[in-house]
Amino acid sequence: MKKQIRVKDIGADDAVLTPLTSEDIQPLLNHDEKPFRTIKAETKERFDYSLDGFSGLTLPIPKTKEEEERIVNSFLAGLEKLFEKESNWAFLQPTTLSTQYCMQCNTCNEACPIYTESGRQDIYRPNYRPEVLRRIYHRYFTKAGKLLGKWSGADVELNWRVVYHLAELAYRCTICRRCASVCPVGVDNALLTRELRKLFSQEMGIAPDNVHKSGSVLHMRTGSSTGMTPAAFLNNIEFIEEIIEEKLDRKIKIPVDKKGADILLIHNAGEYMAWPENPAAFAILFEAAGLNWTLSSDVMGYEGVNYGVWYDDVQFAKVALAQIEAAKRLGVKKIVVGECGHATKALVSIADRLCVGDNVIPRESCLPLLESFVTKGLIRFDPSRNDFPVTLHDPCNMVRLMGIVSPQRTILRHITPPGRFREMPNSGVDNYCCGGGSGFAIMNTNNFGEWRDNVACRMKARQVLTAFEDCLDPSIPKYYCAPCSNCKGAARDALMEHYGFRDKYNIIYGGLVELMVNAMVDTPRPFISWEEDF
Amino acid sequence: MLSYFITGPFIYLSVIVFVVIAGYKVMSYQKMPRHLRWDLYPVPHQGPEGSKYQKIDFYKKVPVFSIAHEMLAMSQEMIFIKKAFDHNRRLWIGTWPLHMGIYLSGLWLVLLVFGWMLDIQGEMMLIGSNLIAWAVAKLTIFVGAAAFTMGLFGSIVLLWLRLSNADLRYIADFVTYLNLCLMVAIFGTGLAAWLTVDPFFDLIRQNVIALLTFQASPVTEPAVVIEMLIFGMFLLYLPFSRMMHFVAKYFFYHNIMWDDEPMVPQSALENDVKKSLTYSPRWSSGHIATGKAWTELAALQEKEAEKQHEETNSR
Repeated sequence: MKKQIRVKDIGADDAVLTPLTSEDIQPLLNHDEKPFRTIKAETKERFDYSLDGFSGLTLPIPKTKEEEERIVNSFLAGLEKLFEKESNWAFLQPTTLSTQYCMQCNTCNEACPIYTESGRQDIYRPNYRPEVLRRIYHRYFTKAGKLLGKWSGADVELNWRVVYHLAELAYRCTICRRCASVCPVGVDNALLTRELRKLFSQEMGIAPDNVHKSGSVLHMRTGSSTGMTPAAFLNNIEFIEEIIEEKLDRKIKIPVDKKGADILLIHNAGEYMAWPENPAAFAILFEAAGLNWTLSSDVMGYEGVNYGVWYDDVQFAKVALAQIEAAKRLGVKKIVVGECGHATKALVSIADRLCVGDNVIPRESCLPLLESFVTKGLIRFDPSRNDFPVTLHDPCNMVRLMGIVSPQRTILRHITPPGRFREMPNSGVDNYCCGGGSGFAIMNTNNFGEWRDNVACRMKARQVLTAFEDCLDPSIPKYYCAPCSNCKGAARDALMEHYGFRDKYNIIYGGLVELMVNAMVDTPRPFISWEEDF
Repeated sequence: MLSYFITGPFIYLSVIVFVVIAGYKVMSYQKMPRHLRWDLYPVPHQGPEGSKYQKIDFYKKVPVFSIAHEMLAMSQEMIFIKKAFDHNRRLWIGTWPLHMGIYLSGLWLVLLVFGWMLDIQGEMMLIGSNLIAWAVAKLTIFVGAAAFTMGLFGSIVLLWLRLSNADLRYIADFVTYLNLCLMVAIFGTGLAAWLTVDPFFDLIRQNVIALLTFQASPVTEPAVVIEMLIFGMFLLYLPFSRMMHFVAKYFFYHNIMWDDEPMVPQSALENDVKKSLTYSPRWSSGHIATGKAWTELAALQEKEAEKQHEETNSR
């Protein structure tokens, strides 16, 4: 049942501020809502679930007044640093402006899929958590706020619960920036979510384990956020060559560490582990197009992800610059990022301004290059090989945040028969997040995955069902094309597993390159199968 | 004495405070370090072909900059508030006339000055004698009346929405209501003065000209003095309030969402960023080495990566 939660209620001493139940969320066609898993009482006594009954951060409940004060003081210390150029030059201007100029018009709310699909719970409004942040900042750091309190809009009393609720709330937004795209002023409430995450990570050491300790830290220690070492990477390449030989009845030698190549291709290393057919497809296409390319086994050279882009500028900078250095060591002419949205945005766009001095190497998305295979006739495709309904997911990072809209559509129209490719409602820059963005796809601790699948991923499920509404019968195989690793992770866990899309509707998911290889005229057998599980 | 103070020194003080504080704020935003890329698409000046990232080797190509597309997008936002129209129609019904009232008020002030130059007094009925003066007189009345009417209508609609809509009421703080009441007061007093004592805007024109020529205003009519008082209070308060979003909007669009300037060696951008990289962040988390500059923090990782690279090669 929806309970109105005012901004100043964020620190209320309720057992759960907004207890979310499966009855609250928007119903979905043919989906039986099951009650959410119950968390044991002893777990809830130790760790904080008091925001909405879910936990993404495993925050230990403070036991003493000193611990509570430490939490509050640490938060305030971090908040101050968000607004000083020495500590936050990278986003000082956008953060300052978005903090100061929200007109509280709520235009952003209806644009947010998490808010709408949750049954419009107040705490998930895109402007709720930033408004808490604004009022705290105003109260503790401005003269008007200190003197006038609530009369100047500074009506949030800071306590440890406020801090903990904000920390968890920072992980109830995928930073898709749909809210920013509709704001009449230009305020970016998604950016403020990211700034909050930064404050928690960079000052208080709070971040989801999967994202930090087993994410960016693991990445820099081993070479990959998956823990895959250079030796394991090379073993995976051999395995992929075997997959290719099985599919093509011939061998392709995947080039690794080829000095001076035109292109260093860098994948989200999760592809090697979970979807090896994706790097296999890239290798097949690149070989067929006659490109001078290579992978790298250099530590920091084969893992394209940069989790820092979601939560920590220091981690972000370290990873981006190390990736660039790895490419420079190989002497390649440019880096091409495989099918991974955040990796593309991080390396090609956001990191661009870190490329000072000789930290320079061109970087681009794989999509225009793949488009050239089609438009320049470098590879021959037979669209009749993809004679099944296909819909396209637009990864937020590539599409709304980089404007890469048309190459993938040009490709799809070329490699599918007329009428087979159908857009989802709200496609292109208006797309909805898959629900796995900003790290959600890899956050599976506690019961966070349940929240993600039920709330964050629900709009995408709705979009896919609408796209295929004329052919939902399971006798018709269908393909959900998602050219992004984390989006595929969300598809696997939410669409396939949780919503049963494969079983109920015979929908499978995959990247764009698999579909391209499936249409190549000189492959002896289909590359895509509705029977096989990779 | 009071009317002398309100229609003269008080307005000068308000204008000075507004200009100084607003100017200081604009300069402070402008001086902030160049931030990392945070564009949001579509970026209008990239033209009909769209994002440069859709092209192979985009960095070798001269970036497209279509001022016409940018102007069109800006005009749609500034004049029509297109995003509110598209995504929050109920709000737009109030916010558009309110903003039009503000724009028309600016035009009306210009017409008042123009009218003084043409020596307009009362309603110029004799078309034959001075067509231009007659037209300016009529236009001044029309624009002024429209400004006050639209502004008042819009602010009342927005205030009513705030009070009657649970969603808007729940997020609003005291300041939001204060701002809307102030807008109702500005436009309301302007409309009231026009309707009751100043049908041709002669009195307000005399006051504006007196201010521009540093003379004492001859106007003592209470309705007009109250109008000036409210306007002065608004100017004093404006630069400290979120109603300065008209300035922030420029930065949001041009400096953030549409800022796709690439890093070019030896450019002003590179110099700015190099300076920022010499700052030492004060973050306290364990994974951030204290006392190191940003360049050193990143270099730590490069050294570590190189070391691992050598270890890998030696195996």
